Amino acid sequence: MRDCEAIKKSLGAWLDGELDAAQAAEIQLHVQGCASCSDEKGRLERLDFSLKRLLETNASQIDFKTFWAGVSQRIAADVSWSTRAMDWVRAVFFTPRLKWAVSATVVVLVAVLSLDQFFPGWRGNGQTNMASVESIDGHGFNVALLREAKTKTTVIWLFENQESEDETPTESASGDTAF
Amino acid sequence: METTEWELIRKCQKGEVAAYEELAAKYYRRVFMVILGMVHHRDDAMEVAQETFYRAFKNIRRFKGGSNFYTWVYRIAVNLAIDFQRRQKRSLMDLKENMDEVVVDAETSSGDPFREINDRRLGEKLLHAINELTPDHKAVIVMRAVEGLSYKEIGRIMECSEGTIMSRLHYARKKLQEKLGTDL
Repeated sequence: MRDCEAIKKSLGAWLDGELDAAQAAEIQLHVQGCASCSDEKGRLERLDFSLKRLLETNASQIDFKTFWAGVSQRIAADVSWSTRAMDWVRAVFFTPRLKWAVSATVVVLVAVLSLDQFFPGWRGNGQTNMASVESIDGHGFNVALLREAKTKTTVIWLFENQESEDETPTESASGDTAF
Repeated sequence: METTEWELIRKCQKGEVAAYEELAAKYYRRVFMVILGMVHHRDDAMEVAQETFYRAFKNIRRFKGGSNFYTWVYRIAVNLAIDFQRRQKRSLMDLKENMDEVVVDAETSSGDPFREINDRRLGEKLLHAINELTPDHKAVIVMRAVEGLSYKEIGRIMECSEGTIMSRLHYARKKLQEKLGTDL
């Protein structure tokens, strides 16, 4: 059997229901027969009760609206521009319906861009009605190529370099030209 | 954990502030009470409690449901209240005014004048006595006496063993009894 001093040390834990059954039974038996320990038990109970009552009464006067205003203000202030941007991206691209729309757009774009690979003539063999002219400079001659897609005609036009011509540009221009 | 509470938490984790408002409404008084027991001044307690709920929302994605939501929130609250006390350097006069404010408010709820006088005197002494405890001792006695949390739960919040909690509680109660003397 423990003495009063040892029992008093465990009174708090006993009142808190933190002792095992054997210890609790021992303390209960002792307190029932000991005025000093019974008095100590009463003081501990009053202490907890007074503290609880004091704080509970104060807390009961706190209005939730006032309290929440302070919390929500902090939450709102915390939302930085980067978070807002991320939220926007999430809302736009990661909502279930838009997920499909984005995927479908990507697929269509890739398909359109790849059409030339699989169907080379789908845009008219890449030809237009415009004639194209290319100019090549070599062996003292200027070579001009004219390709006309519609009639499938290629014209090769050779002419001398303008810089090596004599002082009568009009003559030479017509005379030196060859087809 | 209740399903509804867990559902609310999941919504909060997706950023739904309205769901968090519901959760806060459920626990704000209890959290406020614990903080008030530690910081004494009602405005300070309000400030710390609001900061607690803001931080809990900010970090709610980290909450995995391994413990009760309130245990998790209390941990934030107690840590913030302890930090606050360490930072706070209030003058004695200011502290006296703060305590009076808390005690007077407590008194108004009673209808019996004799009891009110006793309560007021006891309340004043109690708050002075608590204020002389260390932040760790304040935290354990408030969580046990006010919230009725088990030693295991308090240990989880304070991140220490049940034995340490038992020892801190015994010390805190003894100190308070000494300070209150015959008023108790």
